[in-house]
Amino acid sequence: MVETVLEVSGLSVRRAGLQAVEAVSFRLAAETDTALVGPNGAGKSTLVQALLGILPSDAGEVRLLGHRLGPRGQLPPQVRQQIAYVPQDLHLRGRLPITVAEFVGLGWDPPGLRPPWCGAARRRQAVADALRCTAMTHRAHRLLSDLSGGERKRALLAFCVVRPRRLLLLDEAQAGLDPRAAEQFHTLLYQLRRSQGWTVLQVSHDLEMVRRTCDAVLCLNRRLRCSGTPDHALAPAQLERLYGPGWVPYLHHHHQPR
Amino acid sequence: MIDGPWLADLPALLQLPFLQRALLAGLLTGALGGLMGSVAVLRQLSFFSDALGHSALLGLSLGLVLGLHPTLVLIPFAVLFALVVNQLVQRSRLPADSLLNILYSSSLALAVLLLSLLRTPAPGLQQLLFGDILGVDRLDLVQLLLTLALVGAVLLLSHRAQMLLTIDEGLARSRGVAVGAQRLVFVVLLALVVAMAIKAVGALLISAFVVIPASAARLIAPSLGSYALLSVLIGCSGAVVGLVLSALANLPSGPVVVVVQLVLFVLALVWMPLLRPRA
Repeated sequence: MVETVLEVSGLSVRRAGLQAVEAVSFRLAAETDTALVGPNGAGKSTLVQALLGILPSDAGEVRLLGHRLGPRGQLPPQVRQQIAYVPQDLHLRGRLPITVAEFVGLGWDPPGLRPPWCGAARRRQAVADALRCTAMTHRAHRLLSDLSGGERKRALLAFCVVRPRRLLLLDEAQAGLDPRAAEQFHTLLYQLRRSQGWTVLQVSHDLEMVRRTCDAVLCLNRRLRCSGTPDHALAPAQLERLYGPGWVPYLHHHHQPR
Repeated sequence: MIDGPWLADLPALLQLPFLQRALLAGLLTGALGGLMGSVAVLRQLSFFSDALGHSALLGLSLGLVLGLHPTLVLIPFAVLFALVVNQLVQRSRLPADSLLNILYSSSLALAVLLLSLLRTPAPGLQQLLFGDILGVDRLDLVQLLLTLALVGAVLLLSHRAQMLLTIDEGLARSRGVAVGAQRLVFVVLLALVVAMAIKAVGALLISAFVVIPASAARLIAPSLGSYALLSVLIGCSGAVVGLVLSALANLPSGPVVVVVQLVLFVLALVWMPLLRPRA
């Protein structure tokens, strides 16, 4: 039997007084890559943030790795450690004196209060391994705020890979990247997903990439409008229902991930 | 005070107990400001420390009108102000700088009104506005030392959570950081530091002690590990050099310390372009 990593039942989320997500239910099987697509304002980011406990939900239930997410986003620390999140971008303002290696180390630290020297040797080794996996070793001592957009996304993936994870949630991680950097990011994500055995849920507007690399698609516009394999969920009729009549998808051209 | 001392008089000056206490207070206040500033500046809370300093005048005025020891009123007042502001910033949809401006200018207005109720001029008001580091006693030093120990311990244990919160709130929450609690702890600590350091530094100059050393360190620190240390170092050295210069030149100590910190900041500003990474 295939293990369920994420199970969502009847989830509803209000944001700024409006119903952003309504009665959404789905489940993700282990080691699958699922895309969450939909128009702007459809509630995709809200849904991802509610799944992580960043935003509170109004109704419904979220189970992560078999554990119920508490009303204030509580999860046992050992479960929290197995989940990683890649936001659209980091809100860095000005020169931030934190190196890439120090940032990645923050992803290794377990939740809770602890002095910086606790587990320093294991942390250093894990950071070195994560930077190697993401081809960021040469940027280890560069400030995070001095990185290009593509490098910053790779640093975020190093932040995720620094500890063994089971579930990875990405909120439009390719936003702001030029086509080449987006392609490199997806290739790296694809390789890491395979090598680390991650289950991935990623918000994306790049339907061609979704068609090529994802196992399943969830179409969201406040409610879940359709779901299934990319061929089924991204069929013209479904897309027209999701994005509105007369919508013609623009197809990006990418190389196959190696 | 000492009239017209020269550099040759420095050894004799350093023998004076009040100057020794002042130097120690300068070191402790510089370290406190540098440490708290290292987080406050990154979290864009510089204006918050300024607002705390100005609003503290209301606490001090209350103490003077009620005939209570200013510190007894100041600590609970500063902490209460910080808690109220923290709640308002979270719940109100106004930008934090507008909200802080409203609160601190209103506090200042109320403080002036309260002081006008006093029949005689408020004793020691000048010192409270601009600080009286030469007047600190042993009890003040112990209070500063205890505050530094508390701040050091809390920031050491929580600095990773504080850093994640600085980088990205969503990322911090996804890692299980109790964002609300971390925010609350930090603003309460900041209020405590402002209340404790106000006697030495003054209500009008306290924010400089928090903001300038950390801003200078932010410009040149090559890593997070060195950033807080550099901020503390700049805070402490600015305080010591400023105090010695003020004693030698017979100038008010608080403003001289701030000017020395400003010089260090300008030096950091000049140094920064040399640190730009090469591709």
